[in-house]
Amino acid sequence: MRTRVQATLLMVAAALVVVACGGGGGASQGGSETIKIGSLHPLTGPLAVDGKRMDQAVKMAIEDINKAGGIEALDGAKLEFISGDTKGEPETASSEAQRMIDEGAVALVGPYTSATAATIARTAERSQVPFIIDVATADSILAQGYRYTFRIQPGSQTMGEYGARYLKEISEAQGSPVESVAYIHESSEFGTSVFEAFQKEAQRLGIEVVREITYDALNVSDLTSELTQAKAADADVIVATGYYRDGLLLAQAAANVKPDVKAVYGVANGAFDLDTFPEDAGDNGNYYLSSNYHYDATSDRARKLRQRFEERTGESMRTAAVFSYQAVEVIADALERAGSSEPQELRDAIAETSLQTELFPFDGPIEFDDRGQNVNAQPIVMQVQDGEVVQVYPEKYAQEEPIFPATPWSEGR
Amino acid sequence: MAFKGRKVSGRSLALLGLGIAALLVLVWGGDALSWARDNRVVLVQALVTGLLLGGVYSLVSMGLTLIFGVLDILNFAHGAFMALAMYASFVLVANAGFDPYLSLLVSVPLLFVLGVLVQRVLLARVMDQPHENQLLLTFGLALLIENALLMVFTATPRTVEFPYAQTGIPLGFATVRGPLDVFGAVADLPRVIAFLGSLVIAGGLFYLLRRTSLGTAIRAVAENPDGAAMVGIDVRRMHMIAFGLGTACVAAAGTLVLPFLSLQPTTGEQFNVIAFVVVVLGGLGNVVGALVGGILIGLVQELGGAFVPGVDKLFFVFVVFVLTLLLRPQGLFGGKP
Repeated sequence: MRTRVQATLLMVAAALVVVACGGGGGASQGGSETIKIGSLHPLTGPLAVDGKRMDQAVKMAIEDINKAGGIEALDGAKLEFISGDTKGEPETASSEAQRMIDEGAVALVGPYTSATAATIARTAERSQVPFIIDVATADSILAQGYRYTFRIQPGSQTMGEYGARYLKEISEAQGSPVESVAYIHESSEFGTSVFEAFQKEAQRLGIEVVREITYDALNVSDLTSELTQAKAADADVIVATGYYRDGLLLAQAAANVKPDVKAVYGVANGAFDLDTFPEDAGDNGNYYLSSNYHYDATSDRARKLRQRFEERTGESMRTAAVFSYQAVEVIADALERAGSSEPQELRDAIAETSLQTELFPFDGPIEFDDRGQNVNAQPIVMQVQDGEVVQVYPEKYAQEEPIFPATPWSEGR
Repeated sequence: MAFKGRKVSGRSLALLGLGIAALLVLVWGGDALSWARDNRVVLVQALVTGLLLGGVYSLVSMGLTLIFGVLDILNFAHGAFMALAMYASFVLVANAGFDPYLSLLVSVPLLFVLGVLVQRVLLARVMDQPHENQLLLTFGLALLIENALLMVFTATPRTVEFPYAQTGIPLGFATVRGPLDVFGAVADLPRVIAFLGSLVIAGGLFYLLRRTSLGTAIRAVAENPDGAAMVGIDVRRMHMIAFGLGTACVAAAGTLVLPFLSLQPTTGEQFNVIAFVVVVLGGLGNVVGALVGGILIGLVQELGGAFVPGVDKLFFVFVVFVLTLLLRPQGLFGGKP
């Protein structure tokens, strides 16, 4: 009994010595402390494909930072990865966020869908813990005036506006200006908000949206009727906003209906710029254009990161996962500047972020406006060429020239 | 209650038609007709798409309604069984180089046996218990199957290529290449095959139920289990077979749609929802009702979507669903409630 007390005292003393030696400013935040970062993604359910990769990307970023010496300003404090499954359900996302905050997470990263982002943001705000959105497009999340929520990727407004602008610029540069489009989009807030932003900007640029066609992404099993309506609208281009599964259906239907348009053009489309799309859609997907947020394929850093991720997990690092990785770097950068892992101070440091990134084709550093939106976030245009997704516009980030007009289904155009 | 020959109630069909017509007139008045003249192709396409999809709905729903008719159980795991069959076919096509349609020879018997086993091992234990217990059991089974599929195959969407996409289908005298042209509308070959396949399988099921002694026994059990037992029919065995047949139907549907749908563990769910609507429309437990109901729902969905762009197609399906429950809760082919 006595020896145990002595041993305990000794250990406490030793710990105090270690802390005192390491301690610069805050002795309580010495090298033995870990800083918990919560990763919130759909690890099960239909969205688990990307959710799991995003979770792994958060873990990888944390390990990279720890390997490089942890947070220097906090005496090399290490980050600790904690993970939760939102299942893509708003309620679960909110309770998981709460659990992590109760466990001492100082910042949250997630979540992939707009609906779950909304409830996590509410929870984070209530508990005053910073929340970095890696992927969730709807603008309504940030419109609440939350102080603790930040987003790196472009929102729906930016996606829609750039989508229209890029379409005009590309078509004019290729000598075949677009005057009218038929727009097919999934009917939830994601598709609707992107469509509305596109329509407004298009109108300003002199492009008319002659037909809007919507569908329910969860229940649709054939888009032939929709494509026939788009064909009947007699527009120059078909624009599409949706997810992966319906994107494939659209490519199939377009190949059958063969609308007489100059191009099929995705805006924030979850299918056309994924590596698996040319594989799954086959020839039907040729020449599809897609204006979307994306990692920068021309960047060395992005290439190396993706390579390491693939070696590590055996899966390709899609754009969503690159955003998750970036989100952890934003937190680490803020921790360095704050010199504190206290959530409120961390929040203030994040708000002051000006972080150069080579992972994304953004024309400036990551900087947040007063709503928490990254002001320099912008999409780029990709195209399926020879079975590969390549960046084609803006020129600065282009790997190949855009092919336009691009009628995907006709042999050799 | 089920499988007795019944005529389509003229009144119910008239009510249904009247409802839809009233809806159309309410929304557009005379515009609808001139619109239809201007958009002939859109309309024909909606008809073609609705018909083709409706055939598949029918096959899915027939399995569901058969199970309800004989076992008096609403099987919430129906969609999950469909996904299971699709993955079985997918594995055969992707790993063993099977023709997707040939994989029917595996997926259908496989799911039949699985259905028999599930009935024998799980459902047989709750046959005498309250309805909720059966519902919860099948619901739990659905979650179990979907998550097991997720564990094994992940949520990555899988696709299977239509084997005759390049070569066309050789029919001896000619080679059919898709897509077919139907008065200006297109009919994708794999969808046409799924539709025809559904009709053939439905025909087989009718034959079995109507013309064989096994079918007679199944119908007897559906009609009056006690009476059937009295004349020496093994009721438990018929329950097993009926459940197996219902599952085999949905397996066939799953394999038939595989060449044009991408596959995820939750793919069956969307068909599950539609199947419940179809089964209610056609009359619970009525196989003929499921066939007609499936095609009707396919048409309602597509025509509705064509007439009112900007509204989800399923809106009209649920309008029909609610109208059915209000005006004719026993369904088009059901007897008195």
